[in-house]
Amino acid sequence: MGQKVELACIIDDDKIYVNLVKKIIEIKKLSENLLIFKNGMEALDHFKLILENATEEKLPDIIFLDINMPIMDGWEFLNEFIKIKNNFEKKITLYVVSSSIDPRDLERAKSFNLVTDYLIKPIELKKFEKIFDRNGHAAA
Amino acid sequence: MLNDLQLNNILEDFDIAYWKINLLNKDVNWSEHFNTLVGKPNFSESHFEYFLKEILHQDYRYDFRLYFHKLTEENEAFSIELKLKLSNGKYRWFECRNLKNKEKNKETAVLLFVNIHQSKRDQYTIEENFFYYKETAQMTNTGGWYIDILNQNIYWDNVTKKIIDCPQDYQPPYQEHFRFYAPEEHPVVISAFEKCEKYGIPFKIELKMRNLYNKDFWVRATGKPVYNEDQNIIGIRGVFQDINEQKVNELNLQNSLDIIASQNSRLFNFAHIVSHHLRSHSSNLCLIVELLKEAKNNSDKIELIPNVTDISENLDLAINQLNEIVNKQTILRKERRIVSFEKALSGVMASTSSLINRENAKIVAEFHGLKEISYIPEYLESILLNLITNAIKYKHPGRKPVIYIQTYIKNDTPFMEVSDNGLGIDLDQYGDKMFGMYKTFHENLDSRGIGLFITKNQVETLGGSISVTSTVDVGTTFKIKF
Repeated sequence: MGQKVELACIIDDDKIYVNLVKKIIEIKKLSENLLIFKNGMEALDHFKLILENATEEKLPDIIFLDINMPIMDGWEFLNEFIKIKNNFEKKITLYVVSSSIDPRDLERAKSFNLVTDYLIKPIELKKFEKIFDRNGHAAA
Repeated sequence: MLNDLQLNNILEDFDIAYWKINLLNKDVNWSEHFNTLVGKPNFSESHFEYFLKEILHQDYRYDFRLYFHKLTEENEAFSIELKLKLSNGKYRWFECRNLKNKEKNKETAVLLFVNIHQSKRDQYTIEENFFYYKETAQMTNTGGWYIDILNQNIYWDNVTKKIIDCPQDYQPPYQEHFRFYAPEEHPVVISAFEKCEKYGIPFKIELKMRNLYNKDFWVRATGKPVYNEDQNIIGIRGVFQDINEQKVNELNLQNSLDIIASQNSRLFNFAHIVSHHLRSHSSNLCLIVELLKEAKNNSDKIELIPNVTDISENLDLAINQLNEIVNKQTILRKERRIVSFEKALSGVMASTSSLINRENAKIVAEFHGLKEISYIPEYLESILLNLITNAIKYKHPGRKPVIYIQTYIKNDTPFMEVSDNGLGIDLDQYGDKMFGMYKTFHENLDSRGIGLFITKNQVETLGGSISVTSTVDVGTTFKIKF
């Protein structure tokens, strides 16, 4: 295994899913820390707060973004995130994660440059390990 | 004066042959030109008998004999159109009449045979064409018109007058003839007529006209310039074709097509959303199974059990919701009945009385404008139920929920409005998603995100539409066009 990820972030309103991923990350020791938001708005507000008050090192290295969420969904988050992306230099790997197998969602996710990949739920344990591992190498 | 020879030549030039009849012995002699036209009789035969037997078409034999007799016996003039067989074996039309006997000549009479075949045929062609024109015009509801720019006059033919629904003796006013077009068409019509009058540009347009009784209908109109000898435009003429029935059908068809297309796209979305919703639970189940496999000891495994319970409950709920949607959709086969808004509302209020009482909600209904409607009763109740529970669910925290329901008729169309004083919603942000499935906008535990989806479906299934206006912190109004 490569270098550990410092800070991972999950933006998802499915509590069970979030719990399970949290467990996986704990068991497999994939990331030092984990940020969890239940919709795009919460995540965005947090990121903005970091950029205003702290160093950008506090931003996550990797984000798992769900599409269907109340208040602010994944697409809306992406549109807002693009606007603040120029305010920092840290490289963030962003995955769109959804149980939707609608090809239109896949196409739409790919149309965003800042989206590394579109992952369809469920994500296998091995896939999780690979993602975090590759991210560790890429960041090194 | 002309001599006989000159006269003969002139008559021949005009394709006119003649007979000279000796009134004393009734002998007939005919001109050289007549010979060349029909041929000569045998030597022994009398010209008259030969003419009757071989030359004259049988239909005219009786009449001709009669006229001939009257002429020779009583000197009575006559004129008759008849068919003669020419030397080439074909029948041709001739006019036969006697030359006026000025000098009271008792010895000879002259019969002229004038070839009128061409004009007779033209006349037939004209009559035939006129027949076809009239039949076509009536069958296709096509009327002609002419605008005389020089004399400022308008002419309409009978079919046009029928289309405009005016009396046959109606004289259309030149200055105000644009009143026969629907006001919204005026820019198009005026520009078309102007271009035709000024530059001779013909037009062919579909537009709405307005008859004498201000009823609008669709026509196809063509117009072309009329020039005088100096190539100046002196008028415009063309036709109106009444295409109202077709156009209305076409518009209805387009409307149905739009509804079907939107229903189709909704079904497509529905399938994806359903798969997404069910998959989110099944994928969680997969994750648990993987974690169970990875678990090193029993306590790790037991820790996961509550998650399994949650997932199975959620899955069950999701399937029940889908069942609900499918059930509501299948009510479609039920028939419309006359439903009273008052009764439908009291039914809904009875079934939601605990919610209404708990929240202290006030419901004001104003059904004076429209008391009842032909609708599927279950749909109307479901629509009211969804809108009312929605209004209460998203009430404003600072005040008691008030719901105002009003029905009315506008432009012959029934409407219902349901307004509340609740949270309101930012339509710029969420407007297009308002009626989507599983779309929730507030972090509310009761939000299931299927209510408005079902409501929209029910309204549209019965051919209506639903729209929403809202102001954050003020309230929301749903407007249903039945």
